[in-house]
Amino acid sequence: MSRFFERYEAEANRFFDEVISKDGMPRAHYDKLLHRFGQFSIDDIKARREIVNIFFRNQGITFTVYGENEGVERLFPFDLIPRIVPGNEWQTIEKGLIQRITALNEFLHDIYHTQKILKDKIIPPELILGSQHFIREFVGINPPLGIYIHVTGSDLIRDGQGNFLVLEDNLRTPSGVSYMLQNRQAMKRAFPVLFDKYQIRPIDNYPQELLRTLQEISPNSRHEPNVVVLTPGIYNSAYFEHSFLAQQMGIELTEGKDLVVNDNKVYTRTTRGLERVDVIYRRVDDAYIDPLVFRPESKLGVAGLVNAYRKGNVTLANAIGTGVADDKVIYSFVPAIIKYYLGEDPILQNVPTWLASNPSDLKYILENLGSLVVKAANESGGYGMLVGPESTIEQQETFAEMIVANPRNYIAQPTISLSRHPSFFNDTDLYGCHIDLRPYVLYGKTVTIVPGGLTRVALKRGSLVVNSSQGGGSKDTWVVDE
Amino acid sequence: MLSRVAESLFWMSRYFERAENTARFLDVNFNLLLDLNKITQVENPSYWVALILVTSDKERFNSLYNEYSAHTVTDYLVFNKNNPNSITSCISLARENARSIIESISSEMWEQVNNLYHYLQSINPQFVHNNPYGFYKEIKNASHLFQGITDNTFSHNEGWDFIQIAKYLERTDNIARLIDVKYHMLLSEAQRQPEIVEGSEDIIQWMAVLKSCSALEAFRKVYLSKIDPDNILRFLILDRTFPRSINFSVCAAEDALWRISGSSRHRYVNNADRLIGKLEAELSYTAIEDIFSRGLHHYLEDLEQRLVKVGEQVHLTYFAYHTPEIESPDIAEALPFTGIAGGRPNWSQAQQHQQQQ
Repeated sequence: MSRFFERYEAEANRFFDEVISKDGMPRAHYDKLLHRFGQFSIDDIKARREIVNIFFRNQGITFTVYGENEGVERLFPFDLIPRIVPGNEWQTIEKGLIQRITALNEFLHDIYHTQKILKDKIIPPELILGSQHFIREFVGINPPLGIYIHVTGSDLIRDGQGNFLVLEDNLRTPSGVSYMLQNRQAMKRAFPVLFDKYQIRPIDNYPQELLRTLQEISPNSRHEPNVVVLTPGIYNSAYFEHSFLAQQMGIELTEGKDLVVNDNKVYTRTTRGLERVDVIYRRVDDAYIDPLVFRPESKLGVAGLVNAYRKGNVTLANAIGTGVADDKVIYSFVPAIIKYYLGEDPILQNVPTWLASNPSDLKYILENLGSLVVKAANESGGYGMLVGPESTIEQQETFAEMIVANPRNYIAQPTISLSRHPSFFNDTDLYGCHIDLRPYVLYGKTVTIVPGGLTRVALKRGSLVVNSSQGGGSKDTWVVDE
Repeated sequence: MLSRVAESLFWMSRYFERAENTARFLDVNFNLLLDLNKITQVENPSYWVALILVTSDKERFNSLYNEYSAHTVTDYLVFNKNNPNSITSCISLARENARSIIESISSEMWEQVNNLYHYLQSINPQFVHNNPYGFYKEIKNASHLFQGITDNTFSHNEGWDFIQIAKYLERTDNIARLIDVKYHMLLSEAQRQPEIVEGSEDIIQWMAVLKSCSALEAFRKVYLSKIDPDNILRFLILDRTFPRSINFSVCAAEDALWRISGSSRHRYVNNADRLIGKLEAELSYTAIEDIFSRGLHHYLEDLEQRLVKVGEQVHLTYFAYHTPEIESPDIAEALPFTGIAGGRPNWSQAQQHQQQQ
């Protein structure tokens, strides 16, 4: 075994380690990787780190941190050791995600039409009708092909036994796919020999698949639909991704001010006048997308866009109002949703979840705040969260008050010790860092998942939070065939 | 092409050119002081005030510094973030514009803007003080490299033409300012000390003007050894073949504008084309004596104003997001507009509200 891995302490009894099994031996699919890293000196690692840093810096791959100086750009932390998923494990993930996304799409269609699932009392109606993401203006509208969630990024974690569980369904505007693509490019530059030793399934076709999906949902049958990306602008933390995807797809990147609606049709403003738009891959949240319908002060959106959408003159991806299905409260009903619409048992399990709106659950949550993870139903990015074992008594008391005041807004889950993966703590030592996995699911005429996803790493020692806004980084993710 | 993309290409190019010209002014001033053996008087304010006059924001300078010296003027023109026209500010703005259209430009162009930006972030005033020649050379070369990369990696279509318009409008403006200030200074000095006018210092000063436009060698090939102010002005204003003369730059801007709209010598399509065409035609039939009889200062001032008008018309014709057939006039007024600051056109950044995802 390599010198880096000789010193590595997996603690395989406490955590599920992705590389080292409980008996202390490396898992078979990591053999070749360990062998290769065994040939590296510390200087070799430093040289490869430099190749990767230059690549990311030259590409301008940065993200913006809020709360520090306005507009501080940082390189996205990247770990050199790839995460390897064997083909057979991937097959389960793929099947499970297709099942889950298909069911959630049926659910959205139902919620925005006959609401059968509410009438059958599978889900308490007040949870849906009272959700801030349930958009009444959108009831009865038929998006092309009946699809609401064209691009999703579900967060998967592994429990102590190594089972994949779904932690979150991100059905609104999930980000991070550009990091998935760029991580692969960076790894190809830094570790060409290692690539040769594995049969790694390619992911580079993601932008083409995304464009195909977007073209398939065009509202009219024009030969070449005009598809654009809509970004909040260069100060958005995911701006790099928006421009990267537009460039890779070869389509225009637009801001709200580039678009104008006339007679319920959407146009871009060009140096030669107005040009009709058919499909908008929007990376602007519902609340900001149309000042006439939602937040009137928003300058990120386009006045009249929602009406143009309702008239069927333009398609938005994802549809408006999909947030109602990725609410953390609705999350706890997804297994029931799968069963209800598809008549199948879920392939991927949920993390056990207690709802504060349910009186007996509320009692349990308040009594066990010190061991649970409490989450606000509508926050994302690791904000509005209490990690019980790491919290102080004061923090727990504050949360208890907030939960009692607004139970609908909170859920609790057991503290799951996410699986760990050896990652470079600096360039000399490996440390077991907690990871998750976000695969990206495209839904057009068919459901497509590129093999892989973004593996996020909690690079802060011992931390369970993998979000980039909270000091997380990422790894390249290889789905390999034997 | 999207109006916003065209506008960002325009300002990216314009700020890059402005940074290069500022580097040229500063570089030549240092050299000039060496030539004049006045290195002991490097702190003499009269040698530095001119640079502030060229950039025509004396008021802002006075609000930030107490004196004109090598140190303060260099700091103001190279580093100061409160000066929107400092080299650092220009490159930051060029990069910001490039970043907003990163999917439209070639990745090589982006890398070059980004490299220069990071280089400037790593430089401190002491470095420039120790090696001004090396530093300014770096900036000039970076700009030339950017133009070369642009010409060789970016399609020569509409977007490239907007880059050319911006570059040549900015260059024309800078040459005009440089001549204006130098002439003004020499004239007022001549009035104080008449014996200097014919002296060698005068010639050296005019040679410095040529050098700052990289024009000394080209000038010598045309006018051989006769370096006198009339010939120098004739060359810098009216020469049609030298790429840093006013006439050449106006022609190049005109070509680019006409390519975009399809205008021609006898038929203009919009006001930007008309104004640049008029300017070019006048330059073609102007003799240096005409300029002197009108007064050089007045002539140059008028030229600068006409360039601003061309810029305004380019904005209205191609960039203004206003579509009169759809929006009411009060909406149009609320839309972002390119402002003029310190007598030099500047990019006014549209308000962008943050959003968390």
